[in-house]
Amino acid sequence: MFEPFVDVVPSFFGWLNQGPLTLTIFLHTVIVLPMFWIYKQEKARLEQES
Amino acid sequence: MANSYLTTESKKLATWYFTFAAIIFGAQLLFGLVAATQYVIPGFLFEIVDFSVARMIHINALVVWMVFAMIGSVYWLLPDETGIETVGIGLGKLLFWVFAAAIVVVVLVYLLVQVGPADETSLWLIHEGREYIEAPRWADIGIVVVVLGFIYNLYATGMKGNRSGIVTVLMADMLAFAGIYLAGMGYTDNISIDQFWWWWVIHLWVEATWEVFVGSIAAYGLITMIGAHRKVVEMWLWIEVAMLFGSGILGMGHHYFWIGTPEYWWEIGALFSALEPLPLVAMFIHVLYDWGKMQGEESAKGQDVSVIANKPAFTWFVLNAIGNFLGAGVWGFFHTFPQVNLYTHGTQFTSAHGHLAFFGAYGTLLIGMFYLAVQGKNGIKVMNATKKSIWGTSMIFGGVLGMTAALTLSGYVDVLVSRAQMGATWSGYFEGQASMWFMQGMDWRLIMGVVTFLGFFVLVADLLSIGKATHHKR
Amino acid sequence: MAKKSVWSDNRFWQRSAAWVTGFASMLLIWLTFDTIPQITMGTNADLQNGVTKRVPGPTVINYKITYEMDKKRGHEIPVIGEKEMFFGRDDWSEEEAAELLHLGKLGSQVKNCMNCHTLLGNGAYYAPDLTKAWLDPAWGPEGSMQAMTGKSTKEEAMSEFLQNPSQYPTHARMMPDLGITAEEAKGLVAFLKHMSSIDTNGFPRNFGKIQGAVHGK
Repeated sequence: MFEPFVDVVPSFFGWLNQGPLTLTIFLHTVIVLPMFWIYKQEKARLEQES
Repeated sequence: MANSYLTTESKKLATWYFTFAAIIFGAQLLFGLVAATQYVIPGFLFEIVDFSVARMIHINALVVWMVFAMIGSVYWLLPDETGIETVGIGLGKLLFWVFAAAIVVVVLVYLLVQVGPADETSLWLIHEGREYIEAPRWADIGIVVVVLGFIYNLYATGMKGNRSGIVTVLMADMLAFAGIYLAGMGYTDNISIDQFWWWWVIHLWVEATWEVFVGSIAAYGLITMIGAHRKVVEMWLWIEVAMLFGSGILGMGHHYFWIGTPEYWWEIGALFSALEPLPLVAMFIHVLYDWGKMQGEESAKGQDVSVIANKPAFTWFVLNAIGNFLGAGVWGFFHTFPQVNLYTHGTQFTSAHGHLAFFGAYGTLLIGMFYLAVQGKNGIKVMNATKKSIWGTSMIFGGVLGMTAALTLSGYVDVLVSRAQMGATWSGYFEGQASMWFMQGMDWRLIMGVVTFLGFFVLVADLLSIGKATHHKR
Repeated sequence: MAKKSVWSDNRFWQRSAAWVTGFASMLLIWLTFDTIPQITMGTNADLQNGVTKRVPGPTVINYKITYEMDKKRGHEIPVIGEKEMFFGRDDWSEEEAAELLHLGKLGSQVKNCMNCHTLLGNGAYYAPDLTKAWLDPAWGPEGSMQAMTGKSTKEEAMSEFLQNPSQYPTHARMMPDLGITAEEAKGLVAFLKHMSSIDTNGFPRNFGKIQGAVHGK
């Protein structure tokens, strides 16, 4: 599952780049997840208003 | 402007910007034709106006006319959106003349001086030799000053008047648009770092801030032309901003595959930029959906009239939705994965994408704004198309589609012969260039370029005369 | 009364747009701080100690460069080998080499190379890609360019061609005379040699490896 690091210089992002799509899926996830929190907040606000 | 119906200075200033933009658009097409001819007849204007010079003017004129038309569009919509006259309009007018004069000088230097000795002075006075942002450093500084003035006017007006969602998005977007330019002004001996920052300007312009600008203008157009509901339109706009910036900012990775940057950019560039077409699909649906919805509401009332208040402008807005999706979305997606891009990078394939994307995403929309300005200036309630508008639109859009198809075919030869089969060497390159398919593609590109150029004259004739036609509702 | 959906609420999308934009921008800035040190030029000491750099220092012009398949990384990478003469010398000092590269990089911009050629794949497509031009077999001992220009080394052949390009037509599409002086040409060749030593993650693939058979040749 984990693959040896092959790029020239080791770095945090290079390390996250473990295999197919690990880095990009991680970044997408951290971008999208907080939107659930925004969703909940806005839902609570709308319920309060009505 | 004796017979003008325009009541605000902001809109009058917008028409200046649009006029100058249209002239530079013509220059772009003219020098594009010179470069296209040189592919077919290599000796054409050799050592007089070489390909490098013609192409530099072609792509710089492209950037300049679009920036002018974009600034004009903002000055045009500000009074409608904020409900007040634009603040600092005198400054705006002064900066227009400064900007226009600077552009004329820059182009004349490109054309008459062309190259200088390899020293810093040449970078300051002649050009910087970096694709799209070749402007010499004195002009760089001038552009920053001019754009800062424009941003000041936008912010002052937005803060004083009614700040709609569209104005809010534009304020944020135009500031980013201007700020990013600074990343492209430096010099370094390290070409990897050079291109790293160069892409900050080019990519974050055309695949992020300019696209958000298009979203805002399309939103404004839908409200003014077909009476779409502001709340719905602005919700779409926010969704588009989230998707455009969400995919576009890190989508920059697809330019960092091969310039010396680390391997992790393969992954970041691949998936983020693969999502870039999504907002473009959304915009496409949004425009057509709103049109159908508004027309449906009208029909339900038993009215048998079109809801479109400006037929030629709306045609261009619809073409924008299609062209943006096809040119930027589909043609971009074709070669955004590193395993494909390894072979397509730096071939005519890129050029095919560039032509349809720049024109489809930005050219169309800005021409639509020209028509909106003609309508406003002539005080027309419902502006109908003329024969000339139909011909002009068809020739220009058809011409660009034709060029794109031709370049795509040539691009295949480039990719397969020069790159995949021959391994990209000097002889591999010319082997590809000499193949029959490549050369036929270049012939068709030139023919379609001529169609586009002729269409431009029909467009200009129409813009100058359509206001006086009698079949509009005033 | 029907409850309003969050999905059709403007504020939800406005806040989401602000979050996504802000966070993506922050990530890009972080990635920039990670990438820039990795593509900063190495030093002469790095070259002497065999430290691999994505972008080697200017003194790389003192060494032989090849482009070889790397099993571990799965693509070709530039390999810096033993010393090699460059314009008759293999002892260009760090200052001299940097000065030469500076002149060459300036020249590449001022002479507008990028509006016909591509550099690292970026530019115009009217002339061949220059990323690995230094390694092109056409300029090597078996290629045609040394004989054509009457020179016996790669760098001298390139320099001669750059100074009088339209005297040596290789194709109907010729390179124009750009007023390149002998000194500028030297700088440009150093710039090309340095560029060929940049680790471009395997671009262009198979460069110079294939003699190829197109239309039965």
